[in-house]
Amino acid sequence: MKPLLKRLVAAFGVSVMATAGIAADWTPPGPVKLMIGFRAGGGADTQARLIAEDLETRLGWKIIPEQVTGKGGLTLATALAEAPADGTVIGMLVTESLGYNMAAAKTPLTPADFTALTTTASFQMGIVAPASKGWTAWDQMISAAKDGTPIRFGVMSPKLADLAYLLGQSQGVDFNIIEVKGGKAVLDGVTAGDMDVGFMAGIQTNGVAAGDLVNLASAMSRPLKQTPEAPAIADLGVPFDADGYFVFVAPKGLPDEAKTAMSEAIAQIVNDPESKAGTMIGKAFGGPAVISGDDLQTLLQDGYDAAGGLLEAASE
Amino acid sequence: MDLLDYAWAGVLAVFQGPVLFSIFGLSISATIAMVLFGFLNGIFVGATPGLGGPMAMAISLPILISIFGFSSDALLPVMGCLIGIMKGATVGGAVPAILFNTPGTPDAYLTTLDGYPMAKRGEARRALKVAHFSSASGDTFSDLVLILCAPFLATLVERYLDLPEKTALLILSLSFIAAVIGGSVAKGLLSAGLGIFVAAIGTGEDFYPRLSLGTDMLAQGFPAVAVILGVLILGEVFRGLEDLARSGYGRPTLPGHAPPGPPGNDKIRHLPWQDRRPLLPHIARSAMIGTAVGALPGIGSTLAATLGHAAGKRRHARKAPDARAFGTGAPEGIAATEAANSAVSGANLIPVLSLGIPGNAAAVFLILAADSIGGFNPGPAVFRYNQDAVNPELIIAFGLFATMLLANLINWTVGGTVMRSMAIMTRIPKHILLPVVLMLTLTSIYVQETRMAALWFVIGFGILGYVMRRLDISPLPFVIAFILGGRLEETARQAYAATGNDPFFLATSPISAIFVVMSISVIVLAQYRRPTTAS
Repeated sequence: MKPLLKRLVAAFGVSVMATAGIAADWTPPGPVKLMIGFRAGGGADTQARLIAEDLETRLGWKIIPEQVTGKGGLTLATALAEAPADGTVIGMLVTESLGYNMAAAKTPLTPADFTALTTTASFQMGIVAPASKGWTAWDQMISAAKDGTPIRFGVMSPKLADLAYLLGQSQGVDFNIIEVKGGKAVLDGVTAGDMDVGFMAGIQTNGVAAGDLVNLASAMSRPLKQTPEAPAIADLGVPFDADGYFVFVAPKGLPDEAKTAMSEAIAQIVNDPESKAGTMIGKAFGGPAVISGDDLQTLLQDGYDAAGGLLEAASE
Repeated sequence: MDLLDYAWAGVLAVFQGPVLFSIFGLSISATIAMVLFGFLNGIFVGATPGLGGPMAMAISLPILISIFGFSSDALLPVMGCLIGIMKGATVGGAVPAILFNTPGTPDAYLTTLDGYPMAKRGEARRALKVAHFSSASGDTFSDLVLILCAPFLATLVERYLDLPEKTALLILSLSFIAAVIGGSVAKGLLSAGLGIFVAAIGTGEDFYPRLSLGTDMLAQGFPAVAVILGVLILGEVFRGLEDLARSGYGRPTLPGHAPPGPPGNDKIRHLPWQDRRPLLPHIARSAMIGTAVGALPGIGSTLAATLGHAAGKRRHARKAPDARAFGTGAPEGIAATEAANSAVSGANLIPVLSLGIPGNAAAVFLILAADSIGGFNPGPAVFRYNQDAVNPELIIAFGLFATMLLANLINWTVGGTVMRSMAIMTRIPKHILLPVVLMLTLTSIYVQETRMAALWFVIGFGILGYVMRRLDISPLPFVIAFILGGRLEETARQAYAATGNDPFFLATSPISAIFVVMSISVIVLAQYRRPTTAS
């Protein structure tokens, strides 16, 4: 393994299975359907398609990407749970789908109904405003809101809507929270002036670098890589966060050799800064964040179990 | 990147896009090959009575997607092929109209009035050349208007319309479509309402799948391709089969089919200038009428042809009282009709590309293609270019413009020759044609959806389409409302949230209030128009 990759991995404090090479002894028994839980054209969808492309060129697997969107990833989860567990169907979601969304929807499904393969990148979840608003810091937006300017807050999931609501509560303002589908829709809304501020999970990187957008705050438990000086959501009085990862999962009962081969193949691609997917992840999400195996399975289960707290806080 | 860079990138995406094959070291771009293939195919289906552009687009879409895949590289070849079919079919429709008095596509009906008398006089070849010249001119004009107007309109919408106004605009388009398509306003509203209802199944913001009756089959909603192909294509096939059964099987040709005129003694190679000159005013007028009609969603090419023909007839009778009158074999009559119905095809993409609102069946399939492949969402956001980041959708949009101009070029160069060789298509009996269409549709849906439920859905919606046709309810408002239903709900929810949960968000801004008043008045006013047949 290259030293550079080791540093990247270590920086995230996550473990990667030792990979001497991609397990060549397992190949999918047919074309692999890759269900993508995100709208076409956004950052997550691009990432999934690039990974599919790299898998095809590197390993000769045939990957068929397919959009299975809706219900915060639960449409995909429901379809995936019923798919054959032989490596011919996998899905790409965010950890939130199997955590908050699955708990809030009260479906019979839990993370235990899936085989966790690997995460690829973590969100760089910022609270982003267009530069044209003239706000350079979080407090300026809040004082504008207190002066009576209605603030339209774009969010792309019910969990983020809860967070925005709690943020408003802790800051003493009322946001008009607009829920749209996908981070691209938030970016479009903010750019077109339909929204004043919104959550963006990495898609804002280019715009912030170009000076068109401003990261007002980090919605994570840690600062944003691009704008480390922006306050984190905990500093703003909300004891919850939007930490999360893009994650590949398969149906429950995937044979171990298939699980190892697939998660290693995906991990190698995202960890390689030269691959198309790796390049894109480096640009949009500040580098890969790979968690796989039992660690990932535990992470998913913990997220599911912890969802109740936020649900309760937001419904008070 | 500025606008010219985008335009150039779009042209390059067509000519240097994915390579289909190469001969003698010269690589042939898949997009160019697909436009050519689609265009020839379009003439072929247009010239076949009982087939038509939308039907061919519907069948080829899933097959094309399975060939080119779901990557954004597939957008231009697939949509280029569909655009080619759309344009080819308009040209092809005139062939049987002129030769056999049987319109190949519904909008070519008025071409029979002057085309067939010319053919009976032995001037079939000349009539075909007039039809091709007028059709190609009208089409090209319309495309140029599209290229100039769509970006402008989209920018206007983005700049001045906020979420409540966008909601109101969607309501206005739906009510306009419901009011103008089909025999009566009530039937149009019924059709559109049903479409919104079907779009509501299994969708929505809540985690619980709406209206799914607790079943997993409905929880994912209906696949768009099954709904649209079912209602538009299978419905038509079922009705055709019933017509066939009633009129007795095995009749070799269509009812109302006239014998061909005497073999052409007009072996002209080119239409001389003195023949073309008197056509030009008619072509210009009809092209403008067709473009104006096409830019409004839902009206369609049949009305454009009617208006173009009627305007030409009045003018012709006044200006040239000595010349042969319309309806007795006047070349001007063919020109006025064909220029008008062909000018619809480019202009009807104006609402598609700038607003994401489809106005006719061909536009429905282009939107369906974009939705299925992904990476291109027709709507005002496509024409945004003030960011430093490259907007790939804008490149695709200019690529589409380039494919349209390319299709026009093909039309001007080889279109006429191909068109005149299509006379044979009229002889295909319907009892062979319809089962082939049925099988191709079912196969192509299974290719794309790969689950049996999709086939049950498509047959179910086929029966719905058949019932609607039998009750004289146009299925087009249903399909358009089905496509727009999700967007309408989303935009309305967002507008409601954005205005701080104001339930009267449609009435508070002047522009949206005007749109709502217009939506209601278009329904009221449409009651008083004279009844027309479904198009």
